[in-house]
Amino acid sequence: MPELSIVLAGLADAFTLTNLFFVFIGVVLGQFVGAVPGIGPVMAMAIAIPFTFGLDALVAIGFLMGVNKGGLVGGAIPAILMNTPGTPDAAATALDGYPLAMQGKPFKATKMALFSSITGDTFSDLVLITVSAPLAVLALRMGPVEVMGLIILAFCVIAGLIGNSVSKGIIAAALGMLAATVGTDPQHATPRFYFGYFEIYDGLPLAAVAIGMLAISEILRRMGENAGVIKAGIAIRDTGNPADQRISWAEYWSCRYTMLRGTIIGTILGALPGIGSTAAAFMSYAGARQASSEPETYGKGSLHGIAASESANSAVMGANLIPLLTLGIPGSVGAALIISAFMIHGIQPGPLLFEKQGQLIYGLFGSMILANMLNLLVGQIGMRFWIKVVSAPETIIFPTALLLCFVGVSLASGGIFGIAIMLIFAVLGFVMNALGISVVIFIIAFFLGPRLEESLSQTLALLNGDVWALLNYPIALALVAMSAVTLVMIRRKSRT
Amino acid sequence: MNNMTDRLCGLFFVLFGLMLFFYLIPTQIETVDYGAIRPKTMPQILAVIIGVFGFILMVKPADGSNLQPMPWGRSSLIVAVLSGGLWLISLFGFIFMAPFLALVLMVIMGERRPLWLGLGVVGMPALIWFAVTILLERPLP
Repeated sequence: MPELSIVLAGLADAFTLTNLFFVFIGVVLGQFVGAVPGIGPVMAMAIAIPFTFGLDALVAIGFLMGVNKGGLVGGAIPAILMNTPGTPDAAATALDGYPLAMQGKPFKATKMALFSSITGDTFSDLVLITVSAPLAVLALRMGPVEVMGLIILAFCVIAGLIGNSVSKGIIAAALGMLAATVGTDPQHATPRFYFGYFEIYDGLPLAAVAIGMLAISEILRRMGENAGVIKAGIAIRDTGNPADQRISWAEYWSCRYTMLRGTIIGTILGALPGIGSTAAAFMSYAGARQASSEPETYGKGSLHGIAASESANSAVMGANLIPLLTLGIPGSVGAALIISAFMIHGIQPGPLLFEKQGQLIYGLFGSMILANMLNLLVGQIGMRFWIKVVSAPETIIFPTALLLCFVGVSLASGGIFGIAIMLIFAVLGFVMNALGISVVIFIIAFFLGPRLEESLSQTLALLNGDVWALLNYPIALALVAMSAVTLVMIRRKSRT
Repeated sequence: MNNMTDRLCGLFFVLFGLMLFFYLIPTQIETVDYGAIRPKTMPQILAVIIGVFGFILMVKPADGSNLQPMPWGRSSLIVAVLSGGLWLISLFGFIFMAPFLALVLMVIMGERRPLWLGLGVVGMPALIWFAVTILLERPLP
């Protein structure tokens, strides 16, 4: 247990004017960059790191935290206002955010996203601050067998998103996993389906595939539907009822269980290396729909849908730092960038970090809470700005969005080739939408596929043909049992 | 008609699954005969799943599944413009070709007002250039 004086000194460091200023700048930058398709918070952090060389360690890391947290909030903006999620984890937000915005309630949709995002983020930060050490030990017990059980559970929960055709849902998942097999296989590093293009030796870039299928295909549809009639990118209907443009306490409170479920899912997945916020957002969304007494309202502008997705994907962020701060293991690319920032400033993450740099760590915790508060403040103003921007004519919104996607994907996934892949997957997404084959399930399977194959191959190697050896992995067995229960529940729900 | 769409869709996936299993996997993945999971294992499983569920879709189409009305013609035109634009960007660079690409897209959408055209063709590409090249110090495509 740290001394109170160290905790207080760290918190005092966090609430200095200099730190406040840089966290604020980070949040503004993060929200702006997060709203640009393809760039996202991770790339924003990568770009921002060199600018922190001259800063004090706490200020530098606080600034990067601000960028990361701001980016999570910013990512929901294009998803809600244009149905063009800039990052895969915002795709679940678009499922209900965009229909609500289309009903003339963009402020309501964006505010729900903002509030639930900050709720999830704050919850996971509190978990990080209070119980990170025991959680990290638990996370360390999650070996390949347990991770495979978890991924099976993720697939089963997400099966709840399959629409009226099970065949189409399974085909979508298989196609997504097939696309994920492009590149070298995880066990032998043997190239697969690369057709002579060495650019895809490392696999198809997630940013290009996700933005192509989710954002560009939607832009293509909406540009195609525009028959020379110029209208605003989003119509804000004056219903005469101010309640349509805000979130009341009663509405927020009615989503408390949805947000709690989302934050727990996000926190658990965030503490595990490599699972990430996309799976958390969709698991939370599917779980909320399964648990709801009105599942038919999901996909039509449900506040619970937005709350489920945003609380989960934001909760991943704080939890990502649990293995990083306690064990020195980065759980995501973003956490790896934070590690590099630590090292640039001469700090070695690991088990001794709390002992040797206690004041800095509690300063970091203070900065994270500060960033959440600033996120709320900046978000309230930023959402208005973005809604104004998107109220411009479609004739300027969509070409600009396309150019931004070109640039974003080029930066994220290696130049012109990445953009070409994005266009190919945009066409595929367009056709799949026309045929009623879920693009969302494709993307989730694409994301989880490599992790499933890797953990499956490691599991088989560990078991060495002995199925009974599975009894040595009680957590994995529990997860598989939960998967079976989930499938039964989905089946029952679909019959009623 | 809806059933026919699903049946044709299912037939396509059956054929795709067969082509994947018997042609693409043997020609595009090297043979490795050791290890817990071979490089071909997962693609083969997926090929079977695609083929089998394509067959199920073919014989038992989904109830109430509609072919979504999509603007095929205009969207194809936009894809062609984007592909051409990408090719020109690869030759001449984003800075020179982005304004032309924006102009063509805006004109296709019916924009004729000079102020908005100016903003879309000059203002937005310039803003992107400033943000990426000057502020972020990253190269444009």
